[in-house]
Amino acid sequence: MISCDSFRTRFHAATDDAALLEHLRTCDRCLDFAAHADPDVMFRSLGGSEIVPPGGIDAFVEGVMQQVRVRDAETTIAASHGIAWPRRLAMVAAVAIAAFGATLVYRSEVPTTFEPIKRAELRTHALTTKPIVAAYDSQNATIIEIPTEKADDDVKIVMIFDENLPADL
Amino acid sequence: MKRIAIVLMALLFVSAALADTADVGKSLSVRTFQFKHKQADKAAAIIKALMSRDGSMSIQPSANSLIVTDDPESLKKVAAALAAYDAPPQPFHLTVRLISAGRGGAKTEGARIPDELRDIESKLAVLRYDSIESLGVAEFDGKEGEPGLLSLTSYRAEFNFGEYDPASDTIAVTDFTLSRLTDGTLAPMMKTTLNLKLGQKIIVGVTRQPNSQRALMMVLSAKR
Repeated sequence: MISCDSFRTRFHAATDDAALLEHLRTCDRCLDFAAHADPDVMFRSLGGSEIVPPGGIDAFVEGVMQQVRVRDAETTIAASHGIAWPRRLAMVAAVAIAAFGATLVYRSEVPTTFEPIKRAELRTHALTTKPIVAAYDSQNATIIEIPTEKADDDVKIVMIFDENLPADL
Repeated sequence: MKRIAIVLMALLFVSAALADTADVGKSLSVRTFQFKHKQADKAAAIIKALMSRDGSMSIQPSANSLIVTDDPESLKKVAAALAAYDAPPQPFHLTVRLISAGRGGAKTEGARIPDELRDIESKLAVLRYDSIESLGVAEFDGKEGEPGLLSLTSYRAEFNFGEYDPASDTIAVTDFTLSRLTDGTLAPMMKTTLNLKLGQKIIVGVTRQPNSQRALMMVLSAKR
């Protein structure tokens, strides 16, 4: 086994020196150093051109092809279990029709004419209760609207008690 | 399978079309109302009750206009109400009678009511004054928004005719200031704003306290 210093002195790109390649299999730092100058050196150090799969190349290829056929069969089965686009479309359309139908039925059944009538009644009551004295220019005044027998009485009385008024009215 | 899909798609389009047709009746329209004589913000309060649940409005004070969005049926009602509201200033006639009332005089069965106050005799009796004296009557003709002036012996009333409110059938009499002439100068006594229902007699009594010996009564009546 050569030393790292010796390796770095003797190493050059595309080398097939068995001692150098053997050093690379045991020294990661020298492998990094060598890979910068010659990226293929790692494969050469592993003996890439001489590797033969167990059982020979034909057995290896047959195994690969068998895996390819198995994957192909799995894909076909998975596709047959999915929902075809016409069926999906039909389902979406059925749901949409049901929603539209329900909306139309709901609109035809909801009584929408009652609410405005209620609002109109409220408006009438609210506006007929307008106070006679809307404003009075004194903070110390008490204003009393004397109730009458009938709401539509033709005479209304309002008394204003104000300490600021003169005594000799 | 494709046929079913096509039929369902056709049904989908038909129902969508029906839904659109149903929506046409509820479609909203936008209309702008510009006012010549009245304020847009006050008009907004009037039409609020006439609008549908989907309606909305916005006020443009600079243009004195109101933009209303609502269904066509509600817009018709709003347009009619606003046309009636935005009428030119209307003329009104105001009558004011001034009455001096007192307590603590001679004990009698009731105050002797002057003939010119017989129409409100029963109402004045409620107030339990034993002397009632008419101080005079004054009348004024004016239009909405115009100032008015009434002279009653030693009293003077200044006021402005406000806006007529068709909903309550009232005319506002704003800044009604009653002054008394004392030693040649007018001294303001009170200032108020009143809502007078047309055709109704309003008795406004002013006094210092509920048990005061003296009170001043104004009988106001407004009509067209």
